[in-house]
Parts: sequence; structure tokens; C-alpha cells
Amino acid sequence: MPEVTVPIGPHHPALKEPVNFKVIADGEKIVRLELDLSYSHRGIEKAAEQRDFIRVLPLLERVCGICSHSHSTVFVKGIEEIMQVEIPPRAQYIRTIIAELERMHSHLLWLGVAAHEIGFNTLFMWTWRDRELVQDTLEEMSGNRVHYGMNEVGGVRCDLAPHQVSAALERLPFLEERIHQYTDMVNDQQTMLLRFKGVGKLSREEVLNYGAVGPTARASGVDYDVRRDDPYLAYADVPWNVVTDTNGDVYGRTCVRIGELHESVNIVRYCLENIPEGPVRINAPKIAPDGEIMSRYEAPRGELVHFIRTNGTNKVERIDIRTPTLANWTSVAMCLVNKNLADIPVIVAAIDPCLSCTSRITLINTPGGKPGIITFDELRKRRQISDKGRGLP
Amino acid sequence: MTPPLTLDFVAEKMNEFGTADLVRSNRIRIHTTPEKVSNAIKYALDTLGCDRLVTISTVDNGRTFELLYHLIGPHRTVISIAVEVPRETPDIISMSGILPPAGIYERQIHDLFGITFRGHPGLSKIILNEDWPPDEFPLRKDWKKNPDTYYGGIRKEGV
Repeated sequence: MPEVTVPIGPHHPALKEPVNFKVIADGEKIVRLELDLSYSHRGIEKAAEQRDFIRVLPLLERVCGICSHSHSTVFVKGIEEIMQVEIPPRAQYIRTIIAELERMHSHLLWLGVAAHEIGFNTLFMWTWRDRELVQDTLEEMSGNRVHYGMNEVGGVRCDLAPHQVSAALERLPFLEERIHQYTDMVNDQQTMLLRFKGVGKLSREEVLNYGAVGPTARASGVDYDVRRDDPYLAYADVPWNVVTDTNGDVYGRTCVRIGELHESVNIVRYCLENIPEGPVRINAPKIAPDGEIMSRYEAPRGELVHFIRTNGTNKVERIDIRTPTLANWTSVAMCLVNKNLADIPVIVAAIDPCLSCTSRITLINTPGGKPGIITFDELRKRRQISDKGRGLP
Repeated sequence: MTPPLTLDFVAEKMNEFGTADLVRSNRIRIHTTPEKVSNAIKYALDTLGCDRLVTISTVDNGRTFELLYHLIGPHRTVISIAVEVPRETPDIISMSGILPPAGIYERQIHDLFGITFRGHPGLSKIILNEDWPPDEFPLRKDWKKNPDTYYGGIRKEGV
């Protein structure tokens, strides 16, 4: 039978984000896969070269709508290392709490999407409902649901008030119970076992050879985790384990992510209970000396790398961002070969692809309800009122 | 995990390819030349126990393009193999044969910097849209947006 090219995307019901696959198929079997990722390129690396360290952070946070804290943390931690600034331990703990909450909401979101891809929409509704608890915690702590804006060079933007800590702690037992239930479901729900087991298998050697990262790699027994290999934030103080699995298929990746949900709950609880007292930021210098740093971070999807070159000014000379999804594409393209066309959605979803969200213009509603732009003074006034309301100085 | 690599060990092993320096407690950089880069990477994979390519970072320093191949292994020490490619003839051998993930990074670098990778199986556009002019490379320091060029998206009225 002659080979046929099947175009999938950029707009396709099976894909959640704009990507175009040219699948070369022989009957139902996939022969080769070609990728086009250009649909959401926004030139952030170039734009980042033109902004100072204060104004570049909101931009970098918007590289991704799900791992927004990852991108800003990996950048500030790199810049702080070049500046040789040590940030206060309380700020490290707050960054860790936000980072792990972000991992929880990302993994719950993924579990829902994976369930949806195999037609198991009940689980999709359940995980997304539970994810709201994590989102509520994040909103309470930072004021935002998506782009938390917690980081700044030299610490974090806002402190945690005691009532926020206790509110977050109260939500954890329910989440823990739900995660236990998901663990049981993955192991005995026929719907999931049939569609996940043996699908998209990658051996340990293949993972290393194709350079896969994160849960995709750990599901094949490759125990790379930057949080342990190159400890940053408060991970060196917190007791936790790297979760690995030996199945190497979509089932293994699900087990790893659910295992990581358990670990994240424990890390968040430990950090909330043991958060040190003290300031949350220090005055960092406005300029960074000449330097080069390869800053690594374990984002929910895997190892995130920012390669930063500074030149003695308040702007970066070059920032090279390598996102985990880019590293995982090679393994996807390779493991789809010789598989069925129908397995594309679930195998692609199994790496949790994030093609970055499209950029938008936000209009802020003024009290009168009309769209408009808020002045800086008014923003500051509102911030002071909100701080007072939260019992902060 | 195995013990981290020391600078002395790496410098001695990689001596024939160029000088090594310790950039950070867990990152060693080796400066080599475009001719030796392929052998240096093969040697690092075989002798230093590296098993994975983390990424290829690119910098335009105004004089040359710098490429850094970051490798890692069970020792969790990042080995950065750095080469400089001249701006006038930006081409270098492709690593996609030895390291499959290099393929996608090289396509990205080709789009944004215009560096050609010899022997790459399909050096087609991946990051920039299909309407982007083929001879403009936006991450080069001397790139300026030309108001008369069409870069994709909605066309100006009357054009």
C-alpha cells in the first residue's frame, strides 16, 4: 500500500495547542512524523534582551501559562548567582511552596487531559475540580491564578500571612485523599489500563538516546531530577524522594505523575510547617557583572534550562530558553513509528506538551465596569488596601 | 548517581581537544574548534560517561557565533563543549547522527541564527512561520526589523 501523508493540526480536536504534524502513514501504521511548531512563536528571547531585570520577569513568566513560576524562578536564581546574592531562607521556602503547588496543578491538569484523550471524561471532571483547590491556594498566596508574579531578583514579592498558611494546610488532607483515589483508579480501572498499558513504550536506552526529560524519562527508569541532582531553593532541606517507574509506557508516566503529586503534597506541607521567620527580600543590585550561567530547574514537565549571558548592564546579553517539551519531541516522533494512528493523541498527550500560550492584551476593568487602563498610583493604593486586609505591614 | 567529575580529570582526558575550565561547581567548559567538535563529543560520550544531550546554547557575541553543547551523565556534571563559528561562513557539522535530540535544536538554531549544519537530514523551518523571509535571522545582534518586509500575519492594507 502506498504511503499517505495525513496532516494533523494546527487546529484539531485531538490537540489542545497549535502544532502541526505531518504523519506519513502506511495504512493504519505510522511510518514517520514531521513537526511544525511555529504557530505560537512570539520572539520572547529577542524581547528579553531589551528589558531590564525588573521588566523582563513579567515577560519571562508569560513564556508559559502553566509553568509560569518555573520560568521566572529559573531566571532569578541564575541572575542571583551571577550577582552573588544570597536570598533570605523565608523567600526560598515561599518559592518552593509556589513551585510545588504549581507542579500539583500541572499534574492534575495533565491527568484530566490524558483521561479526556481516552474518552474517560468523568476523571477529567474530577481532577479539574480538585485542581481548583490548588488554584485557590495559589490565588490566596499571590493574588493570581495563572501568572503568580511572586519572584523578583533578591526574593519574593509578597510574604505569607499566618492565616494563609493555615488555610493552605487545611486543604492538603482532602487533596491527599483524592490523590490516593487516583492511584487506585489507575491500577484497577479497565478503561485506563487498556488504553495506557504498553502504549508509547520507550526503553531506558531510548530515553537517554533521544534526550527525553521529566516524567517521560523517569517512567523509563532514568532517575534524572534536577531538584536532587543540582539542589536549588529549599529542596536540600526538605525530605522527599525522586519518583521513578520501570514500565516506560503511558501507564508508567501516569504512575510517575501521581507519585509526584504525593511528594508535592508532602513538600508543601513540610515547607508550610517549617517556614523560617525573617525578611522575604533583600535589595539586589540593579546591574549584573559579566557572566554566564546555565540555570537548570525541574519544571512539572521536566528539566528547564535558561542559558544566560550578562554583560555588566541591567539587561541580559543573551537568554537561551530550552523548554522541556522541546526536549521531549524527539522521543515522541521516535516512539510513534510503527504505531497505530489512533494512538497519536494519547502518546502526544503523555509528554504533557506545552506549546506556550498565545499572547493576549489585557484590559483592566475600572470600578465603573468600563474597560480602561489603571494608573500606577491607583494600583499602589489598591495594593496597600489589599495588604492591610491580609494583615501585612 | 556516581561521584562528580573533577576539573583535573576532565582536563587530562580532553586535553587533545582544547582547554578546560570550571565555570561552576558542577559545570566544566571545554573550548574546542569546529573541526574537532564531533570527535570531542564522541569522546565525552565514550570516556567521560556522558549519556545525554541537555541542550545546544547559542550566543552571538558580535564577532562570532558561540555554540555550547551541554552534555550530562550519571556523574551529574555538565560538560559544556564550546566552539566558535565565524559569522562570514556560519556552518558546522551536524551532531544529529550521534545525538538524535541535536536534530531539533539544530533546526531551531538554523531558523534563528542562520547557522548551517552540514549533514542534517532535514534542516527545514520549525520555529519561525512559513512566511518569514529566508535570509533574515532575528536573534543575530545586527538584525533590525525592516518596515517594508512582510514577516507573516495580516498584511498591511494596500500592499
